Amino acid sequence: MNRVIEVDVEARVAWVEPGVLNLDLSRMVTHLGLHYAPDPSSQQACTIGGNVATNAGGPHCLAAGVTSSHILALDIVLADGSVARLGGLEPDVPGLDLRGCFVGSEGTMGIATRIAVRLQPNPPCVRTLLLDFMSIDAAAATVSAIIAAGIVPSALEMMDARITRAVEDYVRAGYPRDAEAVLLAELDGLPAGVEAAVAVVDRVGREHGARTVRVAADAAERALLWKGRKSAFGAIARIAPDYYLHDAVVPRTRLVEVLHQVYEIAAAHELIVVNVFHAGDGNLHPILVFDARDPGIWDRVHAAGDAIVRACVAAGGVLSGEHGIGLEKRDLMPLVFNVDDLDAQARLRDAFDPDGRANPQKVLPRGSRCGETMRVPEGAWV
Amino acid sequence: MKLQLPEDDLVACVACGLCLPACPTYRVTGLEIASPRGRIAAMQAVQLGGAPIDAEFTAAMDACLVCRGCEVACPSSVPFGHLMEAARATLQPRRPAQRRFAEWLGYRLVLPHHGLLLALTWLLAVAQRLRLVPNRFGLPRLSFRSLRTPLDADAHPDVFLFTGCVMDAWQREVHRAALTVMRATGARPGLPGVHGGCCGALHLHAGLDDQARALAKQVIASLPPEGPVVVDSAGCGAAMKDYGRLLDTDGARAFSARVRDFSEWLAEQAPLPLRPSGTTVVVQDPCHLRHVQHAEHAVRTVLRGGYQLVEIDDDGLCCGAGGAYSVTEPSLSAAVRARKVDAIRAAAGDGPFVVASANPGCAMHLAAAGLTVQHPAELVEEALP
Ligand SMILES: Cc1cc2nc3c(=O)[nH]c(=O)nc-3n(C[C@H](O)[C@H](O)[C@H](O)COP(=O)(O)OP(=O)(O)OC[C@H]3O[C@@H](n4cnc5c(N)ncnc54)[C@H](O)[C@@H]3O)c2cc1C
Ligand code: SF4
Ligand code: SF4
Repeated sequence: MNRVIEVDVEARVAWVEPGVLNLDLSRMVTHLGLHYAPDPSSQQACTIGGNVATNAGGPHCLAAGVTSSHILALDIVLADGSVARLGGLEPDVPGLDLRGCFVGSEGTMGIATRIAVRLQPNPPCVRTLLLDFMSIDAAAATVSAIIAAGIVPSALEMMDARITRAVEDYVRAGYPRDAEAVLLAELDGLPAGVEAAVAVVDRVGREHGARTVRVAADAAERALLWKGRKSAFGAIARIAPDYYLHDAVVPRTRLVEVLHQVYEIAAAHELIVVNVFHAGDGNLHPILVFDARDPGIWDRVHAAGDAIVRACVAAGGVLSGEHGIGLEKRDLMPLVFNVDDLDAQARLRDAFDPDGRANPQKVLPRGSRCGETMRVPEGAWV
Repeated sequence: MKLQLPEDDLVACVACGLCLPACPTYRVTGLEIASPRGRIAAMQAVQLGGAPIDAEFTAAMDACLVCRGCEVACPSSVPFGHLMEAARATLQPRRPAQRRFAEWLGYRLVLPHHGLLLALTWLLAVAQRLRLVPNRFGLPRLSFRSLRTPLDADAHPDVFLFTGCVMDAWQREVHRAALTVMRATGARPGLPGVHGGCCGALHLHAGLDDQARALAKQVIASLPPEGPVVVDSAGCGAAMKDYGRLLDTDGARAFSARVRDFSEWLAEQAPLPLRPSGTTVVVQDPCHLRHVQHAEHAVRTVLRGGYQLVEIDDDGLCCGAGGAYSVTEPSLSAAVRARKVDAIRAAAGDGPFVVASANPGCAMHLAAAGLTVQHPAELVEEALP
């Protein structure tokens, strides 16, 4: 199931099978002047089916919106074997938005077999800027200030000192090794508008303490900078062999204080934490890095992780920005949803899959349904 | 029996999966166990988790092409090639007798004894005339004249052409082209002395470390202690650049530092004026040139003046040749090649084209699929004014 079935250039829609790799899709339509906008950092390795199931985001989702905004229709197979089409290609599909329910349902509502995705025209002009700072606070404050200045970059990403060095060791893109934090900002659109926005980002950055603002000279330099950002998770072993990644969203205005808390929590548990994240939408990815061979380490990692998630939620954030709930965060769901919320979600899920066969026991904690007794269907793989 | 892999390298994989699309066997099977991450997980399970070394594990290791595409893609720089070679070295004594005999014949008897290899090549050339060698083997047409005519070295050489084993027997014309081009730059190429045969690359991939080390020492001894060593087989060049690590001596490290791929060396010389021809050349990057030597750009530099160069849009995915892989894993090898051939044809578009390949193994493998393949040295020679 890894074919692109058809591309309608005029309507800018492609029907694809779920196994198509995200990056392959964009590469296949680039000669038509189009691309698929959501670009998770794993885009060279992750599939459109997986993106739909997790409602994946990516650096360029700041302006373009996450996966759900780019999925028009889905052919799905339900747990009882029946098939259905959700959504449609027409602009205003009548009835409930079941497509919207399915996107992000993490496989708990059935299996997508054909997906209609929206394709975007490639922007006529793109500029990528690298800003570096001597403090995390300055970088985080710049993020809010850029958006407050009325600019919504197509992407706005932040990396702290440790991860910047690890990434630079791999890509050699000229990321400054001595900076405390870097911001990667991308602006696109019509040339005049882009140049004006570049000037604003440059000014706001410098006002907030940016040491240098580098504008990538050409497509190759831009690609190398992005390769660095997108390799960040994979480069972690340059710091320590194991990592535990968190994914939470906080209001952009509270980035500075939450980041402080994250570093403090890690220090209190004698752990290293690195931060690389979608700063523009406040989607934090604190990564605890460690060596799993150290005795007793997992207890510390779990305790620190738990504290970090709680701190994010306390700051008005949510449990997951894009990686989903799955099993890992299932039991934290009550932190953000009350009993009635969970019950409503469980009943929605039951409407698709009354026997609980599709990805059983994921996402919703035990007892979500009022008066629930847990059962694992025979043969289900949990 | 335990695997003895360097543990720090083994645990360095963070299982991010960014290498998966760079893996040819994962691309054609879609199976985790046929991916770099799956293979590393299997090694970890055996070494750290106490899993047995069984037939499944051996098969998983054997199905790897050791193309090292995953290594370049890995942001944590997990040294996959060395892990795989070390894992295979452990498996070697457990191989079935039949396979060990075949390896003994090939790796111990024929490859290191150049006279024997040449004699067999004569027989093969006769068999080819009698139409006993199917085209699908991709063997170039062996020329009696070429086999009869030795390569000639210059007096007072200032650079050396490594001649190797199979390449000297089956593709001596590539060496001749390389020598002509080297002379055209004003250099005085010399040749290795006696015993300058096999570089040991295939031995290393098969896990036959001791033989590989013995051959490496012979190669080093066969060449004078100074001057660049030019290699026109990407697989051999990659192995020879790694002699420093393999033998772990200062002498070997100094030798490795002198090794240059043919195109790499040529690109460092003053550019040769070439006659522009309209021929379309699709550049195929052999894994050992691109992923290991990182010298693929040089091929473009030296060919650009004479040809219309076309790139393949597959990030240098392996062609499936992988040394002896096409013999040991024929079906996977053919599936990987089919993907490559499609990508090459798509890149070339309509009209005639030639594939440029800097590695004899890839060249034969692709030729066997019906493509016209030439070495960059031959293409440059043809375009000399
Ligand atoms: C290095 C790295 C970087 C990442 N960066 C990002 C990022 O920037 N943004 C982001 O959002 N995520 C990111 N992720 C997380 C992950 O890559 C994404 O969530 C991605 O969408 C998962 O796709 P996949 O093909 O790997 O799916 P899988 O991991 O195979 O599956 C994910 C879930 O989807 C379900 N599923 C898969 N296919 C279907 C289908 N056809 N129908 C129904 N359910 C299905 C599976 O059951 C599973 O529950 C990253 C991960 C890594 C390792
Ligand atoms: S060496 Fe090549 S075939 Fe082997 S795992 Fe790496 S990419 Fe795959
Ligand atoms: S890219 Fe490197 S770290 Fe990631 S799965 Fe592959 S080998 Fe492991």
